[in-house]
Amino acid sequence: MKNRRIILYIFCTLLIASCAVDEQCRTNRTVLLGFGIYHVSYNDSTKLFTTTSESIDSITIKGLELDTLTGKYTYVDSILYNNTKAISAFYVPLHSFVTSSTFEITFNTKVIKSKNDTLKFFNTKDTLTVLHENINDYLSLECGCIKVHSIDTAIVTHNFIDSIKIINHTVNNVNAENIKIYK
Amino acid sequence: MQRILKYTSSLILCMLVYSSLAQKEKKLPPVNTAPFFNGVIVQADVASIAGSIFSNGTTYSYEASAQADFKHKLLPVIELGYAGANKLSTENIGFKTNAPFGRIGIDLNLLTPKKDARPTSNLFIVGLRLGMTNFKYNISNIIITDDYWGGTQPISYNNISTTKVWYEIVAGVKVEVLKNVFMGWTVRSKSLLSNDAAGNISPWFIPGFGTNNGNNYEISYTIGYRFQLPANVKQAHSSKKTDSVTK
Repeated sequence: MKNRRIILYIFCTLLIASCAVDEQCRTNRTVLLGFGIYHVSYNDSTKLFTTTSESIDSITIKGLELDTLTGKYTYVDSILYNNTKAISAFYVPLHSFVTSSTFEITFNTKVIKSKNDTLKFFNTKDTLTVLHENINDYLSLECGCIKVHSIDTAIVTHNFIDSIKIINHTVNNVNAENIKIYK
Repeated sequence: MQRILKYTSSLILCMLVYSSLAQKEKKLPPVNTAPFFNGVIVQADVASIAGSIFSNGTTYSYEASAQADFKHKLLPVIELGYAGANKLSTENIGFKTNAPFGRIGIDLNLLTPKKDARPTSNLFIVGLRLGMTNFKYNISNIIITDDYWGGTQPISYNNISTTKVWYEIVAGVKVEVLKNVFMGWTVRSKSLLSNDAAGNISPWFIPGFGTNNGNNYEISYTIGYRFQLPANVKQAHSSKKTDSVTK
């Protein structure tokens, strides 16, 4: 009789525990624009161009905010990547409430062009501006809303970077690669 | 010796005939002597009222139903109710809705009347329901914060209208505790027929269905009264009288 009561008590406890509502947000709410760095080389023997992922020795990325009064760019307080070593891909947040985001990327690396031709880049800076649309994306009552983006255009200076290519215009919480940077 | 053989053979023959007759009797289906129409049980769900009290107004639901009884076997049902939610999430996002809902369906009584047993009004049921509601809902005080670039934006979605359809698989019992007074419980498995597409502003609560999880389970506890046709009441009285005379 006593055992029956204990079993009933455990059953009821488990039943109540199983009915408890989980109010924690378990969805990723971070939305980042993904970049991959690539190097295109020409193989004389095969007469073909090959694209390989390029590892940068060190990289520093800062956000630039346009001051509407002075018309000049100022650094955002926090640095996104601070002299980060051996990097071939990076992820940055786009502005949630303005439709353009600008970043300053500082490269420190060597690029081997051929057996006898190695290029050295020391504190070489490029500015990258992304024009985008900001869209509200409602997730749930627990997670609320996030801003996802649709990339329109990307403009870049060419001190280190040769060219860029947008491969995925949608920037969401999947955090996939959106833009390829070619050296 | 011949006599013994004669008696034993006749005994074996008798046993064979009896066993074959008994088998035939077993195969006969039980006769359903219940009248074609057994009245209508009008009932209220007490479990949903209790649940509403315990949830402190976060969610509430009140429902009643009318169930007809045909041959004490098939029991079509109409369920009507009113439900709502006034929820505040841990992030202080508010959700508000209230609307009527309806369900139609049918139950099948699995209790088969045993031969020579007293007729019973008790029911062991399994059934199906199709539920529907059309409602409007508000989601308020969603704050989007840009941690890197800075800035916040409050967002609210007001008067979003939607229609939800779902089905329910029902199982339970219903017992006649007093004359024509029924109490019973059912366990329900609820499944939405159409899920929200990704990116849609989906409601947290659906009146009549519960929290919007795709699948829900619910226990209902009903108290009801059976209204019978006058002819059926007379028949029931006369059958009781004949019972007492034969006794």
